[in-house]
Amino acid sequence: MSDMAAVGKTAQFRVLVVDDDPDMAAFFVKMLSKEGIKADTVHNGEAAILSVMTAPPDLVLLDVMLPGEKSGFQVCEHLKSDPSTALIPVVLVTALEDRDSRVRGIEAGADDFLSKPVRREELVARVKTLRRLHETRRELEARRLAAEVEHKDAIRKTFSRYVSPRLTDKIIDSSSAGGAPFKLRAERSDVVVLFADLRGFTSMTESIGVHHVVDMLNEYFAVLTEAAYEHDGTIFNMAGDSLLVGFNVPFAQKDAPARAWRAAMDMVRRFEPVSASWRERHGIVTGVGIGMCRGEAIIGNVGSPHFMSYTVIGNTVNTAARLMQLAQANEVLVSGALYESIRDLVPADRVEPRGVVALRGKSETIQVYSISL
Amino acid sequence: MSEDTYKVKVAKDLEDLIPTFMSNRRKEVDALRVALAAGNFEQLRQLGHRMRGVGNSYGFERVSVIGKHIEDGASSGDKASLEALIDDYGDYLSKVQVAYE
Repeated sequence: MSDMAAVGKTAQFRVLVVDDDPDMAAFFVKMLSKEGIKADTVHNGEAAILSVMTAPPDLVLLDVMLPGEKSGFQVCEHLKSDPSTALIPVVLVTALEDRDSRVRGIEAGADDFLSKPVRREELVARVKTLRRLHETRRELEARRLAAEVEHKDAIRKTFSRYVSPRLTDKIIDSSSAGGAPFKLRAERSDVVVLFADLRGFTSMTESIGVHHVVDMLNEYFAVLTEAAYEHDGTIFNMAGDSLLVGFNVPFAQKDAPARAWRAAMDMVRRFEPVSASWRERHGIVTGVGIGMCRGEAIIGNVGSPHFMSYTVIGNTVNTAARLMQLAQANEVLVSGALYESIRDLVPADRVEPRGVVALRGKSETIQVYSISL
Repeated sequence: MSEDTYKVKVAKDLEDLIPTFMSNRRKEVDALRVALAAGNFEQLRQLGHRMRGVGNSYGFERVSVIGKHIEDGASSGDKASLEALIDDYGDYLSKVQVAYE
């Protein structure tokens, strides 16, 4: 068995022979089959293109002079101009001394040339070389695809804890297109921050069994997370009974204030049946309190080499946290700047200005509005 | 120059293809004669080109040589020379003896 035949054991290499001379076609098929290579034959240019399109071969042996409307050059040009067939090696079969044909063949994109009359050693050597090249190219392509899949999986695994599956897909698409929504370096960005927590959670943990508390927290976070994802919010943190959600990050959202507002309403609304069930089962009265603020924040990956977390920090976040602490059950407290952005969306009878409020731990005062459902 | 026989050595692995090959060459002589009678030099040129490519691929060097001359003769329109070449080709085919090795 020749070395080509040995290689052929792993994958059947297939050649398309395009020659209108049945004796030449039979000669090629015979020589190739001796090397363990399967060969199919067609006898004109149109049939060659159809065959390549329907069952792409690993290599095309293409005679230059063909009957019909398409010459070998035109067939070669056609195959090389189509991205789906451009990588298939094409060997043009030309007369030995026909230099013009070779130049024309190079222009048409031919990968190699074979002289007629054909010397079998030359045929085998050229096919062998192109076969190796083709296999190397295919292996590199397979590696590239595997790396791409691995990269996407890594992104999915990393970011699915922060964002909805829909946003994760967007991040993957953006990453594939060369974008980088989650910047390696921290950056300042205009964001809308939503902080939510459970009113009465502390007393709940004291009066209810541990396993119940965990189940209830899971119920609570499930509905809040769904509401955040519904409006494409990014979940930055979940600790105790509080949830930190950001909008306008990592992707710009022109309607970030409106999204945050709708997410807040959804959180309160979705938690109502859960709250009713808790009241019935455990006799506790609770509700969601939400604080929201719009402004600049620092966004970045924070942590140690062992544990990194995509984080939002800054005054805007602290203000939203303070507002959340002040909010009663089923109440949303928003900063003045954010309220101006959503004023048209909020029914006037549900809004109560709280005036200028000094927030604990902060030297400045801000305008605060209370919104209830 | 005509000889009594023409001996050609052909690779053993081509043996099963040779009967068809020889049959096609004889048909080629007829096609050449028809094309010459019709003054179809383009057809003669194409047939000569084909002979040139296929002949020595199988080990029949003389077929390639005659094919080259027919191709050249057709390009220059040399009818007398073409007639002699076709006769020579027919004579060669009738006397060729193949040995496989």
